[in-house]
Amino acid sequence: MAAQYGRGEPVARGGATAPIAPARRIGFLAASAAIAFLMAVAAWVTILGNDHFPTRNLFSLEPVFRAADFAGGLIGAESSTTPAFYKAEEWVEKARLAGETLAMSVAAAGLAGLGALALFMFGARNVMMGSLAPYRSPFWTAPFFLVRALFTVTRAVPELVWAMILVFVFTQGTLPGVTALAVHNGGILGKLGSEIVEGLDTRPMRALRSTGAGRMQVLLYGVLPEALPKFITYLFYRWEVIIRTTIVVGFVAAGGLGTEFRLAMSHFKFTEVTLILFWYLVLVLFVDIVSAQLRRLAN
Amino acid sequence: MNDRAHEGSLGGRGALTAILLIAFAVSLVGVGWEDGLLNSGGLRAVGQIVAAAIQPQLTLDVLSIGARSTWTTLAYAWAGMTVALVIGLPLGIIGSGTLVRSPWARRWNISFARFALAVFRAIHELVWAWLFVAALGLSPMAGVLALGLPYGGILGRIYAELLQDVPDAPLRALRGAGASEWRVFWFGRLPMALPDMLSYTFYRLECGIRSAAILSFVGLGGLGHNIHISLQDIDYSRMWTFVYFLIALVLVVDLWSSLVRRRVAIEQG
Repeated sequence: MAAQYGRGEPVARGGATAPIAPARRIGFLAASAAIAFLMAVAAWVTILGNDHFPTRNLFSLEPVFRAADFAGGLIGAESSTTPAFYKAEEWVEKARLAGETLAMSVAAAGLAGLGALALFMFGARNVMMGSLAPYRSPFWTAPFFLVRALFTVTRAVPELVWAMILVFVFTQGTLPGVTALAVHNGGILGKLGSEIVEGLDTRPMRALRSTGAGRMQVLLYGVLPEALPKFITYLFYRWEVIIRTTIVVGFVAAGGLGTEFRLAMSHFKFTEVTLILFWYLVLVLFVDIVSAQLRRLAN
Repeated sequence: MNDRAHEGSLGGRGALTAILLIAFAVSLVGVGWEDGLLNSGGLRAVGQIVAAAIQPQLTLDVLSIGARSTWTTLAYAWAGMTVALVIGLPLGIIGSGTLVRSPWARRWNISFARFALAVFRAIHELVWAWLFVAALGLSPMAGVLALGLPYGGILGRIYAELLQDVPDAPLRALRGAGASEWRVFWFGRLPMALPDMLSYTFYRLECGIRSAAILSFVGLGGLGHNIHISLQDIDYSRMWTFVYFLIALVLVVDLWSSLVRRRVAIEQG
């Protein structure tokens, strides 16, 4: 199953692992299903228990009326001023912001790609301390654990939280948002890259080793060329996710459509929100198409 | 023949490299560096944040808030996933176009469902959250729906693809035995695709945890909300406590999901 599914991240399939007794396997799956079901029940009890809004009553019509009001606002039904989407200058302004958002997403994907590219080989167990390592030494095992820990922490903290933190570090502007996207996605790309290396056909590398190549040479001339095409493919998948998230990072950091969306929402300029959402969808569609074309070029 | 194909791919890669480098360079110009890189206290902030990382605030108070908001985040993720399943499963089945036999009806089914799913997943869950909060008020339902729609869109698309990808021979055998398209689906297609569908759903659950944590940014409770408040108070060590809760939660669900996926994969052979 080589197919990669969905937004960016492939389904990691279990590799070669020790066999598990069938009865225990089924038992584990059944227990997991039971836990998942109980969790769902508990979750809904918590959610509805905390709901002090009309939505609590699933059959009340008030939420429907409120939603209809909001939808009316979006299409400019109740505004006393001219809706934003009837003004040419608003279209141009939002298009400029869409361009800025696109630039931010490319810069973030590029930074994430560069960072992950520099590190991902050092996070692969087989190269650093497994079957492909000529010998074990703390000079190689220590970087392995460090790099893996780095990937785990950067990946587990969402982009938005990184953005909140990095606002304190970088100058006002698009930089905190771009770096936040790069840090989180760099962690994901790094982990995926390491898993690519762990799944590689080892014969070319063994051949290289037998000609007397050192560990660094095996990495550069054996592992990297084999892993790179797949890595680039993942980078494009991630770009599709990043363009969707760039607007979200703009909620806390400056730059692009996200900041504009926040301002328009807090000033109740709902017709501007409509325009921003339009450009957002255009961007997402554009990146999906371009990424698909570039992926084809990479393979 | 082989050589030419190889050459072609090399040319493609060269062009690709050029495109990537140029795009990246242009985007960096667009980011805007005029005001310098770091905030005036930026370096000091880095020092404080890193120093706080090794001494998170561990008072009983903060820990109990952390535990409670961990459950809130988990509850949002789980409730959101149930909504995602309710949306994704039927639309995915329709979008696979496998329930109908006539080509015309099939194409119509596929394009209708796929379009709906694409719209759901095009918009990020936090943007949905903000729209739902504006429409429904600050109700937990807004968060659950905001998570459920885009995740339903992704699950539906993957389900549709997995249902289309099953091997054809067993299905033909069923049809040859006189089974209706509905029975072919129920006794042939679905059981064959189910392990992969389950696998992907569990994988999405992991992502759902992270998404649920940031949903609380719009004012719904949870870990993200507490991280946000701590940062507004510039209390880095309290922030790290909640960040560690989040990392632990993600790791536990990550582990569980990978254990389940490995066993499902073996079951499939």
